[in-house]
Amino acid sequence: MLRLQERHIREDVVARVVARHAAEAASPGGRPLAEVINEFVYHERERLRREEDGSGTSPDSAFLAAVRRDLPRAGRAREIDLLTRIVGRYADEIGGHFNPLVYGVATRALPLALSALFNGLSPARLLLHPESAFRLSDQVALQGDREWLCRLARRGTLVFAPTHTSNLDPVIMGYALYRMGLPPVAYAAALNLFTNPIIGFFMRNVGAYAVDRKKTDPLYLEALQAHSTLLLEHGRHSLFFPGGRRSRSNRIETVLQPGLLGTTLAAALDNLAAGRSVGVYVVPCTISYPLVLEAATLIDDHFKAAGKARYIIEDDEFSQVRRWLDFITGLAAIDQQVTVTLGRPLDPFGNDVDLDGGSLDPRGRPVDPRRYVLVDRDVRPDRERDAQYTKDLAGRVTASFLADSVVFPTHVLARACFTVLRRSFPQPDLYRLLRFLTPDSTLSWDEVELEAVSLLDRLGKLAADRRIRLAPATRHGSREVLSRALASFGTYHARPVLERSGHRLVIGDSGLLVYYSNRLHGYGLPGDIDPGEASA
Amino acid sequence: MTAAVPTKVAVLGAGNWGTVLADLIASNGHPVTLWCRREDQAREINRKRTNSHYLPGIRLDRGIKATHDLDRAVRGRELLLFVIPSKAFRQVCREMGPLVTPDQFVVHATKGFEASTHCRMSEILRQETCLKQLGVLSGPNIAPEVAQRKPAGTVVASCFPAVVRKTTSFLVSQRFRVYTSSDVLGVELAGALKNVVAIAAGVASELNLGDNAKALLITRGMAEIRRIGTALGAAPETFSGVAGLGDLIVTCSSPLSRNYRVGAALAQGRKLPEIVSSLGMVAEGVNTSVVAHELMQQHGIDAPLFEEVHRVVHRGDDPSVALERLMRIAPHADVR
Repeated sequence: MLRLQERHIREDVVARVVARHAAEAASPGGRPLAEVINEFVYHERERLRREEDGSGTSPDSAFLAAVRRDLPRAGRAREIDLLTRIVGRYADEIGGHFNPLVYGVATRALPLALSALFNGLSPARLLLHPESAFRLSDQVALQGDREWLCRLARRGTLVFAPTHTSNLDPVIMGYALYRMGLPPVAYAAALNLFTNPIIGFFMRNVGAYAVDRKKTDPLYLEALQAHSTLLLEHGRHSLFFPGGRRSRSNRIETVLQPGLLGTTLAAALDNLAAGRSVGVYVVPCTISYPLVLEAATLIDDHFKAAGKARYIIEDDEFSQVRRWLDFITGLAAIDQQVTVTLGRPLDPFGNDVDLDGGSLDPRGRPVDPRRYVLVDRDVRPDRERDAQYTKDLAGRVTASFLADSVVFPTHVLARACFTVLRRSFPQPDLYRLLRFLTPDSTLSWDEVELEAVSLLDRLGKLAADRRIRLAPATRHGSREVLSRALASFGTYHARPVLERSGHRLVIGDSGLLVYYSNRLHGYGLPGDIDPGEASA
Repeated sequence: MTAAVPTKVAVLGAGNWGTVLADLIASNGHPVTLWCRREDQAREINRKRTNSHYLPGIRLDRGIKATHDLDRAVRGRELLLFVIPSKAFRQVCREMGPLVTPDQFVVHATKGFEASTHCRMSEILRQETCLKQLGVLSGPNIAPEVAQRKPAGTVVASCFPAVVRKTTSFLVSQRFRVYTSSDVLGVELAGALKNVVAIAAGVASELNLGDNAKALLITRGMAEIRRIGTALGAAPETFSGVAGLGDLIVTCSSPLSRNYRVGAALAQGRKLPEIVSSLGMVAEGVNTSVVAHELMQQHGIDAPLFEEVHRVVHRGDDPSVALERLMRIAPHADVR
């Protein structure tokens, strides 16, 4: 059944993308097909040059050469044929890693397998310290209205849209959904995760689809979007990270990728046009970490001059078995849980929904979503209008990210230190400020503690207004919060981010200090960096 | 007799500008519903074709059908033109909330912020109703002049091109030009902020400072409006357009505007509460000055003219002292 559906989806992806371009080429003033194909040639040639040093031996190179040979002499029928083959290859690659036979089964087995994996990595450790055996259930806390989401999952298609901090996120999400009794999801994973030595095997088996972020050809992006839309129309619950990539600065994402998010509306439009209900619900999810596995690499990348920053990082902590182990033991030692919050579901227009998935207006009155997309009494897509709706949706999702984010002691201490730093070096420029710091720069403990007290007070008020959440570990008074933060900072990172030395606080890693402080950005708290100074 | 053309547009608010907009649409051949708060006003418009309180001496087009029943006014209309003073804006939105559907377009023509929340009018519409396809209409539009069929123009801005197209199709004519924009924020801010400069213009006129000073006021006022607007995310070019510079010039030139009269009265040495009670209504610029002042502080924006208007209006500073302070600012680049 699934295998047949896969084939249909693949065929529909190709048919939709080709039909769109054929129709446009046939319309007056429309873009000729040859131009679309030429653009493919340009982008793929550039990509292959970067990746293969132009040796031209791969199947991709051979295919590219064949297209370049045929294109100049191609008539309309031949152009359509070329376009069909190009998009067909993309569609194969996107869906090709997906094995429907193990989908579902593997998703259920994933958490168990992961535990085994973690523990199996170091049998010696397990023998010597059986208490360090990894149990996801001890280290991941879950929040959210399970019953409501299960109910909606039966009535329509759910799209889980989490914040993206770490490559652990999809694993944690898979586990969270399993534990909450929610159905397995299709997941668009970056191609490099499939070759990751630690979880590559699982990626191939959890319903993951491949996204090659090195491909810049617009046709490829169209095929991806068509694929995502079709999955939603076929009722496949999905998981995608609307921020597009891991937040380098550790700020909560405020700018989302409209392309992927917009596929929820595209699917809803097709449903509505066919006389069905909207049937697609977006669930903003927030994953909060007391410590982040790849923190050092990410903040390092963030600080590189904008032009040099790497969009794709393949050699970070995520591929190093040793770092995983340190991270897991670190988490266990500090006794704080990674927290996943499944937020309130939204319709693709950014409206709240009721228990049965009916759309609600801002005052909670039922509203007929079909009417958002009517043109002369018919349901019709409209690129500019729909882009605005998706923007509304993105705004609701990011608001939910901020409100559902969980504050850990590490964030409080880092922000308090950063605020004190900023006060003593009122430099306008963050980078200059950081250059002032030596590995042995210190801060006054009393001053930091005073700042932490006032910060906790403000955080408490925000939490009372439901504008942020506080981890249990932050509720025991400032002394306790700071000592827990110091303990956390001392466990996992290569050198302690901060270390107490009598009445002084030694800054061991100013980059990581900024990284953890940044999680509290966007709440109007003291120590926020100007938006122009360091973008996410 | 042919079947009546269905009424596709409703104008909500029968003050002078709402009535004139309804008249413009009706005289273009489109039947239009005009919602009035008071029943006797609706009756007068329907029977006598006049709105004597707001537009004395003007005869209104027969295509206007006035009603004080909000449900009947909005239900099924393709386009709602919202021309309600900022003070009552949220209240009317709340009443309208249960009556509207998401396929309806809404465009408002109210210049100002909500005093208690500092919300823009488009934000209030979004908070209180299901309507998302919305826009704003703003420009140098002195209602009585448009009513007398003198040539004029305005700007319609929306992120939804279909909203701009539809609104334009009802309004545009040989005597009324419509320019289009997608910068809702910029057009709203331009329309609201210029009222603060208008107060200064009233002061300048009463103090008899001359035309050179007025030109200075307009250009420097514009520079400050643009500075505040762009800091909030508006497109800078919006402020050079009809809804920006165009509206500012007319507001600073016409002694009819309420804001201008507030400024003149302040220059005569009268105090704000007394002025407000003698005007019988609140001039938008008085409240906008407070909002602008807070925005300036929040975003660290330097806007000396706005600063001085705030001091004169809300802290009782002497206008001539404020003028001296402005004249003493160190010389700096004209255009930045």
